[in-house]
Amino acid sequence: MPVVELSYTRLQKLVGKVTKKQISDSLPFLGLDIESENKDLIRIEYSPNRPDYSTDFGIALGLQGLLGIKTGAIKLSVKKSNKYKISVKSEVSKIRPFVTGIVATNGKIDDRTIKQFMTMQEDLHFRIGRKRKKSSIGIHDLDTISFPLVYTTTNRNHKFIPLTSEKELSISEILKDTDVGKDYGSILGNSPKIPLILDANQKTVSFPPIINAAITTITTKTKNLFVEVTGINKEDAEDMLSVVATILQSAGFTLESVQISGAKNSSPKLAQKKISVNSSLINQTLGLNLNASKIISSLKKSRLDASTKGKNIICIIPAYRFDIFGSMDLVEEVALGYGIQNLEPTLSPSQTLGQKHPISISLQSISSMMTGLGYMEALNSSLTSKRILYDNTKRDSSKIVSVLDSKSLEHTILRDSLFPGLIDSLAKNIHESYPQKLFEIGTIFNKTSSVTEETHLCATSSHKDANFSEMKSVLQSIIQSIFGKTCETKTTTHPTFENGHVANITVDGKVIGIIGEISKSTKDNFKLRELIVSFEIKLPG
Amino acid sequence: MSQVFHEIEKKIIISLKDNPKQTPETLEKSTKLLPDQIRRGIEWLKLKDLAIVNESKTSIISLGKNGIESFQKGLPERRLLDLLKNGSKKLSDLQKELGPIFGPAIGLSRKNNWVEASSDQILLKNSPLELPGEKTLKQIGNNKLSKDEIDKNDLSELLKRPDFIIEDVVKTKEISLTDSAKSIKLSESSGEIDVEAKVPEVFAARTHPLKDTIDEIREIFVTLGFSEINGNMSQSSFWNFDALFTPQDHPARELQDTFYLDGISAKKIATPEQIRKVSESHKKNWRYHWDINEARKMVLRTHTTCVTIKHLAETKPDEARVFSLGRVFRNEKVSYKHLVEFNQIEGVVVGKDANLRNLMGIQREFYKRIGITKIKFWPTFFPYTEPSLQTMVYNERLRKWVELFGMGIFRPEVTKPLGITKPVLAWGGGIERIAMLKYGLDDVREFYNNNLSWLRNARKCQ
Repeated sequence: MPVVELSYTRLQKLVGKVTKKQISDSLPFLGLDIESENKDLIRIEYSPNRPDYSTDFGIALGLQGLLGIKTGAIKLSVKKSNKYKISVKSEVSKIRPFVTGIVATNGKIDDRTIKQFMTMQEDLHFRIGRKRKKSSIGIHDLDTISFPLVYTTTNRNHKFIPLTSEKELSISEILKDTDVGKDYGSILGNSPKIPLILDANQKTVSFPPIINAAITTITTKTKNLFVEVTGINKEDAEDMLSVVATILQSAGFTLESVQISGAKNSSPKLAQKKISVNSSLINQTLGLNLNASKIISSLKKSRLDASTKGKNIICIIPAYRFDIFGSMDLVEEVALGYGIQNLEPTLSPSQTLGQKHPISISLQSISSMMTGLGYMEALNSSLTSKRILYDNTKRDSSKIVSVLDSKSLEHTILRDSLFPGLIDSLAKNIHESYPQKLFEIGTIFNKTSSVTEETHLCATSSHKDANFSEMKSVLQSIIQSIFGKTCETKTTTHPTFENGHVANITVDGKVIGIIGEISKSTKDNFKLRELIVSFEIKLPG
Repeated sequence: MSQVFHEIEKKIIISLKDNPKQTPETLEKSTKLLPDQIRRGIEWLKLKDLAIVNESKTSIISLGKNGIESFQKGLPERRLLDLLKNGSKKLSDLQKELGPIFGPAIGLSRKNNWVEASSDQILLKNSPLELPGEKTLKQIGNNKLSKDEIDKNDLSELLKRPDFIIEDVVKTKEISLTDSAKSIKLSESSGEIDVEAKVPEVFAARTHPLKDTIDEIREIFVTLGFSEINGNMSQSSFWNFDALFTPQDHPARELQDTFYLDGISAKKIATPEQIRKVSESHKKNWRYHWDINEARKMVLRTHTTCVTIKHLAETKPDEARVFSLGRVFRNEKVSYKHLVEFNQIEGVVVGKDANLRNLMGIQREFYKRIGITKIKFWPTFFPYTEPSLQTMVYNERLRKWVELFGMGIFRPEVTKPLGITKPVLAWGGGIERIAMLKYGLDDVREFYNNNLSWLRNARKCQ
């Protein structure tokens, strides 16, 4: 879950008449978890489908609704303007075809606000923008730019002074030498054409999706903003723009339109959408019996608008709420507006009869037999290391099943046998009293054309007199109980076991496992001294 | 002191009270016990801190062949001096009379000025009452003596001579009572045993505490009318992600969160219709190029929901209560609160009347049965449910609310493409978290350490 850091006092100012306690009590019911608090600062986890909650401006809108201070949908009022135009050249269509934008004027920006805009931008880039690949955003100081702009392409030798740099760099240098260039350069691939936004004086405004020009940097003195979003599809770019526009408007800016034309591009609409939902679906899903006016007031508390049309509720959804796909999303908005704390849990009588899976039943009884035979149950991970599974036991590793990019060195491959893990468990317990008798029932993985899974039972006994016969007695008893049959042990060799003290276990002539005394060299590899005897069998089913 | 003593212990204590320092041999004599009984009795008393055993090495001195001869006949020089008592004698006569001892006898006597030689005559000058070594020779006689009892100086005279003295080193034990033992009053009664004494530890073999929690949870859902289903841990991305409306370019699907099996892809992932409908739902709602090869990639399931959704897609029930229990995997750094592999419970209710309050009711009932009554519900987000909630339960020990199960109603975008027409209530969560509450653990890794001292002592019944 993403996290945003904000201040109580700032939030109080934005929400209106509200106490600190009301805020902290209400946040969880918007789906916002308070991760930590330190005096005035709070860190809040928000849902990844709500980028508007990546700023305190957006959270304030939600709180106003839930607390009944201001309800209903947020309407964007965008002043029509002819001053701001972007023309799009057709050569961008192969690399990053769409651009959209908006102008926001007469606002005030302090350090905190800049910080909030930055979290918002990061969030939009990471999630909706899919790490800037789908769409990315640039926020500029409007007064440093001369309109009209052109969205075009250039080559890799093009030079400008990028954000945070003091000197001119070429596109190639930016991609090679700067952090953002290295992180996101791959989006552009090997394309010789590089997307670029130029102003009327041929000055570089932005090199999407990598970096803005230094000259358009916003500061606490900036009053007027220009926002551009570029991307590989129009809808996603406009979705992203709608979040920024909504946040800027609630931050006190006046929105003005930007006209976009050329190469299948057009000006953004940022339009509300309508979705109709049947009130019986709402009541049935929530287990409530709300009348239309209660449903409507609940939706309004969720900052949507709604009206009735017969048995249906027609909802008006602002553009920035593109997390709402259909009627079930509206059911949730009703639940939130109604208040999750007001939903009383009920237990409907079960009309079904429960039963355990037959395999669970048989594994449970095998467990109880093994404990009856004096064996303690152990549990190891399915993911283990090459050292334990193959190196220390000298087992054949030709059918190794690895996972990609594990963050833990101890968990890089899937086990194809249980006993290496149990021997490792003995190695962790050398300071505990003997005898040590362990068993494990667990899944192992075999590499076939894909990967198959089997359930195995493994037992180990370690003490100064541990020997083959002792283990064979246990094995016979357990095989008799599981299969209702006797087993045979046929001489074999195995790199982990002592020669002449190891056998294949067969039932009805089929090999189902191995039993033997662990060899001295295996024990040395695990730094074990006491004698160890072990068996492992494949369980039926 | 209320102690009960074995008969052997009593006899040893009584004997040592009479005679405070003894060897096992003297105790044998005084108590009339067998050597083995004495050995055990001393060992018991020592463990109870009632007896002190000092082990020491002692040299035992006895006479050798020449020593015995000298003891019987006198030292060679004494025999020479005795012969000269009545006046000087011819050297050759003395030689004849004393035989092989004449040499050493005359040498020593002349050196010490006891005799004088003039031409071939030997005459007595001075005959001391006691010659060096004579006292010790008499003292030892036919006995074996501790070296400590003997005058070292005098002994050294004899040690110089061949085959006079035999020295044996032997180990001896000296047993005495401790101060607390000295004050013991032995009662007359017998037949009692020391019921307060420590005994050897034994440990019951038992099932793993985490397995116990899993079994307990299974039992609860069965009694609530749920049937258990199961499935593989290795799954195609299609069932783990695509079927659950998680877009292929979603951050959760990246290598850093999910374990992909190296070089392994599923051949057959689902029916052509399921693949077509799921991919259409993705293209329509998420606006991207859906790639079947991405869906074929095999992963270690990140949740058991893939098992549930596969089951529902196969059976398309109008009414059902099923649950699954099993291991799930996340590519995380292992820490006290995160494992790469942990167990999850997941359950679903299918039915036309299934609703959110019922879903909450099942949660409340479940928590009640595992002993948790202080719970509340908060909204949350999951890609495949809507509405979505999470349970918060109050941890009395940590004095804070902790997040447990997540729940919700499967989105139509999930159910519709798979032909599931009735609402599906679903919930699930990690079992280790519940087991941690139950066993009071702060480090989740403990469940997989197989630390015997913990396994042998973790409470089975609570």
